[in-house]
Amino acid sequence: MAKLKLRVNGEDAEVEAKETALLLDVLREGLQMTGAKRGCETSHCGACTVLLNGAAVHSCVVLAARCEGKEITTVEGLSQGGALNRLQRLFLKHGALQCGYCTPGMLMAATALLRRNPHPALEEIKTGLDGNLCRCTGYTAIFDAIRAYAAGELEKI
Amino acid sequence: MDRKLIRPGSIEDVLSEREKYGKDALPIAGGQSLLVLLRNKLIDPIALIDLENVRELHRLETEADTLSIGAMTTIHALSSSPDVRRAAPVLGQAASKVGSTAIRNLGTIGGNLCHNELGADLPPALLALNGVAEVRSKKGARKVPLGQFFRGYFETVVGPEELLCRVDLPKLPANASGIYLKHAISSEDLAIVGVAVILVPDGKKPRSVRDIRIALGGVAPVPFRAAKAESAIGGAALSAEAIREAGEIAASEAEPMTDPHGSAEYRRKMIKVLVRRAITTAIEQAERSSNGQA
Repeated sequence: MAKLKLRVNGEDAEVEAKETALLLDVLREGLQMTGAKRGCETSHCGACTVLLNGAAVHSCVVLAARCEGKEITTVEGLSQGGALNRLQRLFLKHGALQCGYCTPGMLMAATALLRRNPHPALEEIKTGLDGNLCRCTGYTAIFDAIRAYAAGELEKI
Repeated sequence: MDRKLIRPGSIEDVLSEREKYGKDALPIAGGQSLLVLLRNKLIDPIALIDLENVRELHRLETEADTLSIGAMTTIHALSSSPDVRRAAPVLGQAASKVGSTAIRNLGTIGGNLCHNELGADLPPALLALNGVAEVRSKKGARKVPLGQFFRGYFETVVGPEELLCRVDLPKLPANASGIYLKHAISSEDLAIVGVAVILVPDGKKPRSVRDIRIALGGVAPVPFRAAKAESAIGGAALSAEAIREAGEIAASEAEPMTDPHGSAEYRRKMIKVLVRRAITTAIEQAERSSNGQA
């Protein structure tokens, strides 16, 4: 076992884990942060997507030990003062989720994309989300929500 | 017992661990394939040797006329590097087609080559670029042209005491053009057929080439150069008929297998189509740039 010092959503956390533990397991079981979802566990579906130093990664194929000294952002880190952020509210407005299981991953991939490229073209949105599957076939609404965000659309809930 | 994670800070230290553990420990680069194999219990090493802290492996630099790419260079870095775009655009194209954004962010050139999965995108591009691997062990370094690097499905010449440290790409002539085409079911899949073509136009005679390189992935136990197709077409004027024939010959050089993604017969058919398209596109590119329209 190893003691890991991680920085998650701007806060320092210490957690005991196996030396080769995966980030997804450490987040969900060690830190009780269940926002990142366990999906395929083979780096296909993207339900476990988090940001590592701002880049979208599948936390099911990341060694937690490698994340020491880096900034980890999970979906729990998006809300501000307990309120959903604008991207999250636009996902609601545009009906960008059905069952919701892919949503945390979609939000994180979209967040990485929008930070890097605040005004993505539709093709760029598709590439930015190419590591995230939605089995309710809600892609169009997801793209709409992200385009609305880029266009500066506001939404109150 | 829990698996160990060893985190050396230099190539020398990695090689010491390689010598000590041999087959019982595996180097981990980006981990995008290896951690899936572990999870599925297809491998069970005593320890992982983490390469992330070895700075030398992260270098991407141009030395003299060679683009030198450290094994830990990420696929994302390859697809966004101005050096790669300038010196080896075919590699940048192939990199942008690997897996998904998240996989490209962590996956590495070294991992991609050493894993040698059927249909990987980088090997055809690197073969067409005449890439040379530097493989090191405690006993010394050896240079392995990539044409001799791949051994079989998931196998390469890198031994249990060795480490792939970098890939060197010799400079292409200024008028060279090239393209990587990928045929896959979905964008994040491996290639059913991947074709990289690089050609160097004759410069004097229109539609003639001084050098043509055709590399294929996904259609044989190892990615390879279609040498017969290359020599059949090299030097000749590239008529539509000659290009079509090159595709036929390349397809006959492949040893495709049938799997859930496509039958062997389908793969052969797609080689013909993709080789023809790739050569045609590369010629058009070369003609555009010689007319100053690039």
